[in-house]
Amino acid sequence: MVTLSPYIPNALPDDRPAEELAELEYGKLTSEKYLYVSKHPLGEPLPLPIDDEPPYIIYIATYISYLILIIIGHIRDFFGKIFKPSEYADLIEKDGYAPWYDGFESFYVRRLKTRIDDCFARPIHGAPGRYIKCFNRIRHGKTGYLYDGTSNECLNLSSYNYLGFAQSHGVCTDFALKCVEDYGTSGCSPRSYIGTTDLHKECERVIADFVGKEDAIIVSQGYGTNANLFASIADPKTLVISDELNHASIRFGIRLSGASVKVFKHNDMNDLEKLIRTQIAQGQPKTHRPWKKIIIAVEGLYSMEGNMVNLPKILELKEKYKCYLFVDEAHSIGALGPEGRGVCDYFQVEPSRVDILMGTFTKSFGATGGYIAADKEIIDKFRLNYITQNYSECVPPPVLGQIISSLSVIKGTLNPGEGKERLERIAFNSRYLRLGLKKLGFIVYGADDSPVIPLLLFLPAKMPALSRMLYDMKIAVVIVSYPATPLISARARLCVSSALTKEDLDYVLRKFDELGDLIFLKFSSGIAGGSKIPGQPPRWSIEDVLATNVEDTKMPKLGQFY
Amino acid sequence: MTSAVEVIYTATTTTTTTTTTTTTTTVPPTWDLVSQKLADNFVYYLNSLDKLPGGQIILRYIKSSYQDDPIRSLFELALFIFAIHYFLSSKKRENKSDFVKFSKREIDELCEEWVPEPLIDEINPYEKWQLDAIPEVKGHNGSHINIDGRQEVINLASNDFLNLNESKSIKLAANQVINNSGVGACGPPNFYGTQDVHVRLEEDLAKYLDGEQSILYGQDYVTAGSVIPAFLKRGDLCVVDSGVNLAIQKALIISRCDIEWYDHNDIIHLEQILSEIKPVLDKQKPIKRRFIVTEALFANTGDLANLKSIVELKNKYKYRLFLDESLSIGTLGKTGRGLVEHFNIPRTEISISIGSLANAFASSGAFCVGVNPMVHHQRIQSNAYVFSASLPPYSAKVASEAIKEITENINSNGESILINSLHEKSYFVYDNLLKKLSNSKYVEIISDRNSPIIHISLTNNYRDSLNLPQLYGNSEILIRGKPAKYVNPFDDYYNFESFLLQKIIDFILQNTNILITRSKNQIEHENLPLINPHLLIHINNGVSINEYQKLIDIFDIAINKVLQSINTENDLFELTNEILNY
Repeated sequence: MVTLSPYIPNALPDDRPAEELAELEYGKLTSEKYLYVSKHPLGEPLPLPIDDEPPYIIYIATYISYLILIIIGHIRDFFGKIFKPSEYADLIEKDGYAPWYDGFESFYVRRLKTRIDDCFARPIHGAPGRYIKCFNRIRHGKTGYLYDGTSNECLNLSSYNYLGFAQSHGVCTDFALKCVEDYGTSGCSPRSYIGTTDLHKECERVIADFVGKEDAIIVSQGYGTNANLFASIADPKTLVISDELNHASIRFGIRLSGASVKVFKHNDMNDLEKLIRTQIAQGQPKTHRPWKKIIIAVEGLYSMEGNMVNLPKILELKEKYKCYLFVDEAHSIGALGPEGRGVCDYFQVEPSRVDILMGTFTKSFGATGGYIAADKEIIDKFRLNYITQNYSECVPPPVLGQIISSLSVIKGTLNPGEGKERLERIAFNSRYLRLGLKKLGFIVYGADDSPVIPLLLFLPAKMPALSRMLYDMKIAVVIVSYPATPLISARARLCVSSALTKEDLDYVLRKFDELGDLIFLKFSSGIAGGSKIPGQPPRWSIEDVLATNVEDTKMPKLGQFY
Repeated sequence: MTSAVEVIYTATTTTTTTTTTTTTTTVPPTWDLVSQKLADNFVYYLNSLDKLPGGQIILRYIKSSYQDDPIRSLFELALFIFAIHYFLSSKKRENKSDFVKFSKREIDELCEEWVPEPLIDEINPYEKWQLDAIPEVKGHNGSHINIDGRQEVINLASNDFLNLNESKSIKLAANQVINNSGVGACGPPNFYGTQDVHVRLEEDLAKYLDGEQSILYGQDYVTAGSVIPAFLKRGDLCVVDSGVNLAIQKALIISRCDIEWYDHNDIIHLEQILSEIKPVLDKQKPIKRRFIVTEALFANTGDLANLKSIVELKNKYKYRLFLDESLSIGTLGKTGRGLVEHFNIPRTEISISIGSLANAFASSGAFCVGVNPMVHHQRIQSNAYVFSASLPPYSAKVASEAIKEITENINSNGESILINSLHEKSYFVYDNLLKKLSNSKYVEIISDRNSPIIHISLTNNYRDSLNLPQLYGNSEILIRGKPAKYVNPFDDYYNFESFLLQKIIDFILQNTNILITRSKNQIEHENLPLINPHLLIHINNGVSINEYQKLIDIFDIAINKVLQSINTENDLFELTNEILNY
């Protein structure tokens, strides 16, 4: 008899040998052939991202799906309010208090997201490395779950673990443990009071050196880094020009600063140039005084699209029009470039040409927090007037330990060779999986070298279908839809990691092949590559894909067979 | 259908004839012809409507309305055109209204001419000392630290009041989790970033603070800025203490709700505001959300919110209460359950409680606790929760362990031993300093006796003699309800006053090896008027009574030594050289 509990269970003891466990967190490289160096060919323009379109019938079906969901949701609301008023108690006024949120605002969550709630926030235990251990749970009531204590060990395509540093043992963990011993578990105070230790200073030196800037400042959370940055560099007389797909934290930060903001079409350099020119000419609204300064805010790698910023072109525009450039490298630092130093490294441009480089430690380094790297005068000023310096906790020591040691591994000063292997594996794995999916006929977005691979599903019902079936096949993926993406382009987001082996990816491709046929996901037209015959959509058999994929992964223009 | 057209046609002719008969003299003879032609065309185009799906209905509608009242038809047509125009132009309306047209060459010239200001104003020489005054700890942070060449400095500047950062069991807990899960969580909570330890901590916190559910945030400062906008929208109302910290100020501005400010901790003023707006709110339909927002233990002043009266008022006027317990969790009440326990009020009276895990709990991150629908709403609608990575798993475990340390070691009075010790030490320092400083013409204690941070301010008389302003910054937000359109400029007086305090801190450090600190608010970010900087003594459990006695002994000596030579505004300005060479 299995007992079910509404409380999270304690993980069962794992008595497999240490070596096997280590292998489950970071798979050994199976062949030297499975390596690649990611780099943009110098001087060549960045090709515009090609977003493949499905047949119209898919769009129509998607709209009809949402229509049905919305109509049924309203019908259920209508009758529910009459027959089960207790379930709607949160939505109506009670004793003179307004509801916590209104029914209209929460409709999407109540009626759409709740139906597939089990695909989100699956609690896990252990390091989210090559495999991830999710607790099995059964839906209980509206928002609760019951746990039976067992867990499901899935191949991990969901965590931000690009370089595979999410490990519970190894040099980085050892150093983090040493920091607990030597420095404690907490920062104890904001930086400007008594939160600055020699370890913080060292970490800032290491990160500045890594990204190629004079100095850097670190913050305990990536979101908080952006959310508080703009208040220190922008005021209402500043214009911030922001990519329409910038992360919520950047948008929040800009709003907080009170600066004027204009948005340009995602990655569209012509639109950007037009906007800059108009804005310099028009100046501030009403007064027409010139802007004090213009800051262009972009991301290095867009996490929902997998697209890369067109850095060479933006730098050209920025220098031509005397704007300042802020690049958020949250997803690209560590994951891109022959040395893992982010988009500047990938496009082989001098980091000094970008005014402010921001990044996070969550995605590639297995730590948490964010940094701002810039010239020394700018960082010195930040040490005085950056909000988190004075008002918020500082980065705790074990996290510093993880950052310093993982950066040393990447640079090769610690465990020489290991960093290089990690970088080349992520580059190979990203291309390998992307190309395989393209050949099979899936619509995937994003740049060739991007470790984020969005696989388009469109129909809302395919999200839970894919997520649940993959979960049963022991593969964990993230599904995203509105509001993180446009309503009609629901997608699964695959995050590739160095920790995965080529064989793991083969398994993933096989399973996607099965599912793609089962729930009708292969509707690419071939314009984004993958097809050998012009004009014909790519629909390779899985055997053909696996037979040729290693060689094809190394072609300079991925999937462009003609 | 021909008959329908005929009807319209005849209707047109009749109207035209009536007009022509009344105005034959003024209308030129061609008028008849023109109107005839117009009517023909009109009918012709109307006929083509018939071919469109649904056209018949429109046709019938126009026919019947036209027959009754042609003016109405025209009016409706005008409205229709205006509506289309409005919908098409609404996006670009703001641009169009004052958009100056330039040729390509003119734009080129303007771009060429434009000279932007530097990205950032460099540190000016008068504030550079602040950078040098930030102490750097060598090695372990705790009650006794090594800084800048000094060994074993007694640390009274840390927020780790219970000294848990040095606790063996806390370190052990952290080690276990790091050995099992690594350091980072590697994902947002909704996407596989939630680990067993996170859920366990949420359960622990909910139980500890007697709430239905709790939710974790990755950083303390972003919590208010994320929780408040999740519930307060445009049109909602909040009544806020005007002494709240920066995080709450920014949160309220971001949320775009209506704000009423009551004087800091002034319950009479609060009631006055509540009763004044009551008639307006009574008419509201449907009622909007309304909150009273306050800190429990004020970071800026060290006093406690008058929670008993606030709770009475919020129940009387039907407001919800938002309480920021960042500094009071783990420090106030018998078992560290915060201001609520201190005043013996049930936690259920507080609708939203937030607090930091990075202070007394020696961990990092923050939490929010309350009823199920409130917390559940945040899991999808709260920015900092949805769009950021989870807390590192070891931090969650450390916080759980800290709660265990606090609640499991209880003395015979039902008090937590750790918390009790903190209280005894705070009272000891507070009472003795109060005695010592009772006659001081320079400084006074302004914080509450229960506060683990003792705030010492220059006295009003002394500040007046130096011609220091009552408040710094600007009060736009109190007057207009909106933040100022500019950032506060660098303030000489604020700089001087801070420097005076720094001199006292340095004197105490040099003579007794004790480090205290001062408030380091950033004047340019503050939206509320900023009160004067204070000397801060952060009580720490790891420091013995004897060591505190050393501080008490030197305190008035240090004050007199530093301040006795500074008695006028001029003396202040003579510090300039010292500031430049700090």
